[in-house]
Amino acid sequence: MTGILIAFLVVLVVPLFVGTWRTSFLGLSLQGFLLSWIAFRHGAHLSAELVVEVVDLVVLRAVAAPLLLRRVLTHQNAPPNNQVLAPNLFSWAMALALALVAFLAADQLVPAEGDAQLLVAVSTAALLLGLLVLATRGGHLSQMIGALRIENAIALFELGSVKHPSLGIRIGQVLVTAGSIAAYRWYLQHLAPDESLPALTDSERAPT
Amino acid sequence: MNPVFLTLAPALLAPGVGAKRVREVGPWLLLGVAAAQAALAIVVAFTAGGTDRIAGGYLTTDPTARLFLVLIDVIYLGICGYVWNRDRAAPSLHDAVSRYARFSLVFMAAANVVVLSNHLLLSWVALETTTLAAAPLILVDDLAASRRASFRYFLFSSVGLALALLGFACLARGFEADGLEPTFFLDELAKVTHATPNLWRRMGVALVLLGFGTKLGLAPMYTWLPETYDEAPPAATALLAAVQFNCALVCLLRVLQTFRGAERTLVTNELLVIGLVSMAISTVSVIATRNYKRLIAYASINHAGVIAIGLGIGKGATYGVLLYAVSNAFIKASLFLTAGKIQTHYGTKDTREVAGLIKDLPYSGVFLMVGTFALLGFPPFGSFVGELLVLSELVRAKQMIIFVAFCTLIAATFVATGRTVFPMIWGMPKRAVTWPRQTLAEAAPKAAFLVALVVMGVYMPPAVNVLFRAVAASLGGE
Repeated sequence: MTGILIAFLVVLVVPLFVGTWRTSFLGLSLQGFLLSWIAFRHGAHLSAELVVEVVDLVVLRAVAAPLLLRRVLTHQNAPPNNQVLAPNLFSWAMALALALVAFLAADQLVPAEGDAQLLVAVSTAALLLGLLVLATRGGHLSQMIGALRIENAIALFELGSVKHPSLGIRIGQVLVTAGSIAAYRWYLQHLAPDESLPALTDSERAPT
Repeated sequence: MNPVFLTLAPALLAPGVGAKRVREVGPWLLLGVAAAQAALAIVVAFTAGGTDRIAGGYLTTDPTARLFLVLIDVIYLGICGYVWNRDRAAPSLHDAVSRYARFSLVFMAAANVVVLSNHLLLSWVALETTTLAAAPLILVDDLAASRRASFRYFLFSSVGLALALLGFACLARGFEADGLEPTFFLDELAKVTHATPNLWRRMGVALVLLGFGTKLGLAPMYTWLPETYDEAPPAATALLAAVQFNCALVCLLRVLQTFRGAERTLVTNELLVIGLVSMAISTVSVIATRNYKRLIAYASINHAGVIAIGLGIGKGATYGVLLYAVSNAFIKASLFLTAGKIQTHYGTKDTREVAGLIKDLPYSGVFLMVGTFALLGFPPFGSFVGELLVLSELVRAKQMIIFVAFCTLIAATFVATGRTVFPMIWGMPKRAVTWPRQTLAEAAPKAAFLVALVVMGVYMPPAVNVLFRAVAASLGGE
């Protein structure tokens, strides 16, 4: 699994430094496919649980989310550039430092070296980098990408767990993911690009 | 059939009640469903057994579930009363009311599941469902500002709940690390959490606090709250501030009830710091704002801060926290609905443009006045007793620095709120206006909320007090 996790780390980091939304969506899609690879690497028997996992990891995360959001932007003729991370040395150093912190945290949480430790390290790095995107970028597209990256990070972390929730709960979780993707698509369609500005202050909005 | 299952009925009724074909009678149907829900919640709360396991153990009717089930369903009834009145006063709102009925009924069914849930992941899925149902309710006439507020609400909620989910995953890892079988059923968790928490479990509880803290409007992820409460229509704001707030609080209480069994001081410092920082942010914002809806929203952050401090200090403060949380649900519902009425008439949210309310809109003036006193923790309201219990526990625990900071921030909030709100109520009217007379039916929902507030401060009915005490005891309270 080490190779897949290293590949996941690469698709996690590279889109941060390539400032186009196409790269970001490609990164999200690859993350989804890599999550599926990790989940099904030992093979799987046809069952309801398998169908739910496929819908979650392949259909929703790898295909639907990036494709639906990409189509909205294509339809809007959006300019190709979209920096999910501010293009300066400080942000890049911060991203690398967070990835380092994630690996150090994994050392503490999972003392035994191996795939389990690497999985915790990569998912923690994915989470922290997602939070970094959310904290540093005001644009709604960047924030959506940040939120989706965080959700993929948590999905990766959950793949390392022995116990999985019951089928009913898993279906509920998948429906919530589907609802969230639909909501993000709606917001992307209905929020104009200039609405990514910070919220108005009291003095700006009153009196009306 | 167990009557608890009927609490899920609003989701099934939503398409019918919110259908455009029945929009003429939609508000009546909505009010009827809400009244039936409130009656059912009262029946369940005061007749259900101690800690019944329902639906294969996924639902429970323990005291926490029963107390908060009554609270959210009664408040929803009041909000529907307001919606019914607004529809009668302005028939042009028929379509908006139909839309409100559709989404709010789904929201309430999911909210009922949150408070009745005996399973961490089920409560998470239900809370996410309330978020998905609430996001469209924030939109007003397709205004850009409300779209942005809705997006910000949805984004912060999703991220907050994602962190809570990660927290649950860490808790499960904690069990695996101890060689135990992971479970998400609360009653099963309570039996196996006596061992000292390991690093995974500590991190899990901290992440859950951060995640649900976001839904409560606690620092550091509170910025969605003022904008959302400001831009959403009053009925949606009241739903978020009084119902969803308590759903998120129940989720947090469940985790603390379960995982503080072995170590009472687990996440105490985190709760105290987050609580104080939230109060400080709220105070500064209350001083700066000139928008009365935002002022109430900032006060909500203050309330969340007080609740966090109370939960952090525990023991004798626990009963006070519950009293404070329940009181504030009524206060916020009443104040946001009153703010909606004021905004409808004056066409502004600027405090400097509103004056002489007590003459212009007597009922709204009285509600704003009484609500503000309750908001500031004056006697004889339940919020006063709750705040007093938290403060006395801080003294008893010798947390004098926090006590002093708490009192200073509360005093500053009091001065700033009074300076802003009292001229709105008693100031000289700036323009001569004659409004249609306010009817008693319009005032009834808010009056009922204020009566509940006074009752909790003066005389707590024994049956309700039993519930409060049982929930406080489950949190390690005295």
